Amino acid sequence: MPQLLGVFTEPAHVAAAVHRLRGRGFTDLETFSPAPFAEIDDAMLPKPSGVRGWTLVGGLTGVVTGYALTLWMANNWQIMLGGKPFSSIPPYTIIAFELTILFGGLMTFFGLLVVGRLPSFRSHKGYSARFSAEDFGLVVRCRERDVAEIDGLLREHHATEVSLVEA
Amino acid sequence: MTPPPAEPVAALIRPPPVARDSQVNRDLLRVMDGVSVGYFGVLALALGFMFAAGGVWIYQVYKGLGIAGYAHPIFWGSYIVTFVFWVGIAHAGTLISAILYLFRAKWRNAINRSAEAMTVFAVLTAAQFLGIHVGRIWKSYFILPYPNQRALWVNFKSPLLWDTFAITTYATISIVFFYVGLIPDLAIARDRSTGWRRALYTVLSLGWEGTSRQWKSHNRTVLHLSGLATPLVLSVHSVVSWDFAMSIVPTWHATIFAPYFVAGAIFSGFAMVLTMMIPVRRIYGLEHIITDYHFENMSRFLLLTSLIVGYAYCAEYFIAWYSGVEAEQTSFWSRAFGPYWISTWVMISCNAIFPQILWFKKARTHVPTLFVLSVLINIGMWFERYVIIIGGLSREYDPAVWGTYTPQWTELIIVAGSFGFFCQFFLMFLKVFPVVAIAEVKEIEIHARAHGEGH
Repeated sequence: MPQLLGVFTEPAHVAAAVHRLRGRGFTDLETFSPAPFAEIDDAMLPKPSGVRGWTLVGGLTGVVTGYALTLWMANNWQIMLGGKPFSSIPPYTIIAFELTILFGGLMTFFGLLVVGRLPSFRSHKGYSARFSAEDFGLVVRCRERDVAEIDGLLREHHATEVSLVEA
Repeated sequence: MTPPPAEPVAALIRPPPVARDSQVNRDLLRVMDGVSVGYFGVLALALGFMFAAGGVWIYQVYKGLGIAGYAHPIFWGSYIVTFVFWVGIAHAGTLISAILYLFRAKWRNAINRSAEAMTVFAVLTAAQFLGIHVGRIWKSYFILPYPNQRALWVNFKSPLLWDTFAITTYATISIVFFYVGLIPDLAIARDRSTGWRRALYTVLSLGWEGTSRQWKSHNRTVLHLSGLATPLVLSVHSVVSWDFAMSIVPTWHATIFAPYFVAGAIFSGFAMVLTMMIPVRRIYGLEHIITDYHFENMSRFLLLTSLIVGYAYCAEYFIAWYSGVEAEQTSFWSRAFGPYWISTWVMISCNAIFPQILWFKKARTHVPTLFVLSVLINIGMWFERYVIIIGGLSREYDPAVWGTYTPQWTELIIVAGSFGFFCQFFLMFLKVFPVVAIAEVKEIEIHARAHGEGH
């Protein structure tokens, strides 16, 4: 199937084009953006990113590990220290806190890799260095017969160039 | 609708678009290009200090800690002072990246990358001192809770172990934060480099192409890491302060220690960012990216934290007097007028008095003044830890156990070497990674352009 690449200079134009194409039933879209722009990302993926679930799971694992580790180790080989109880919650809270942050942060990073599908080993055919400069790209995969319509749609939304991406 | 004839499709095909690079990319990637004689000179100096310290450290491992200035009753000396100093320096980066991110303070964009890098390097430098200080380096793994044949576990009620967890977590999260922020910029560098650089950036940028899926998860990741790093950055120096405050040593056993240390850490961290970035901005001509406005904002932070630190100095004396505890009063008297009076007055002058000049806009926008002041603050903050640690240990409850400590040449060389260790990392960072968060600067520029055109 052919892929059309529209090049834009404004994020708002890309977002508008995405909405319009979606409305026309063209859903196989990809965008390239030199910087994060919420309007584009929300137009493409309206749902909140799944990374948040990873953070939650990591943080909860951390807090449970922190308390379990300290309580079990203190009771596994009991040594009386300063007359304090073996299971002293206040000092162990510090360990639990640190592990919450540590596991939460690491899992957030793994979430980025999984949800963002990184590392990505295959470069998109439509991608070029201009999209890490200042241009925005919108790639539409469509049937041969829709090419002319999409070309018109992209230009209508202020695409400065439209080209066919080689398959 | 009938399929269009083949001609229009063919007519659509144009020659591949010519890459039109942006000014921001060119300006910021240029920093990595080429190395001057001056750069090599500074790098050689930094490496020289680092290797000298390494040699002295090997000698110390061979001879034992006795060749350091440790003597009864002072067994926490310059190494712990320098450890606390570097952990403090490490606070500005995460503060700028995480807390200012959550507060949507856009001015952070120009400095967050370099500040984050300094955080990572400062934590690595600080971590060296734990190994140096324990002397028997081959036993330092005892601090970790690992299964062993004696079935002994570490003491989780000890602040020193909290510190192990705090520093390890801080180092890990800082590195993750630094790297996540770098990914889009590494892709920018990848698209514009050749040879080994291209190979390196290709691997490190993980195939980043700025798709909406990538940006969306990246944004969420940065937000969550900021949310996690905010309590972390406030907790790390709190935990470091509890290394002292949990003991009963006069002048250490104080509830004010955690906020006092955190404010001091942010104070010294911002000072170090200024010390490093003022020359970098000048040498690489980044005045239009890192503007005087950024330096002015940082100097406001310096003023605020200087006031908090100055308040803490006063509060300590007030509480010593008001509590009526003789040991506390004696120790504080000795701090100001005893054997370490020079250190104390250096600390008070550099941290609480000199920064008051920042009330004046002229001082906040005069870069040479800021540079000199930032160096003075770095000196003052090292002496603050010296005064607290050595001063406290030298005047405990019973005059029979009072003592004095003088840093030995081994310690001085190793402390100097830590600055070389830190600086060589920073110098290499300048040449390998984009020194300013390019994508974030671009985000602001594109927004500004869109608004300028009336969208």
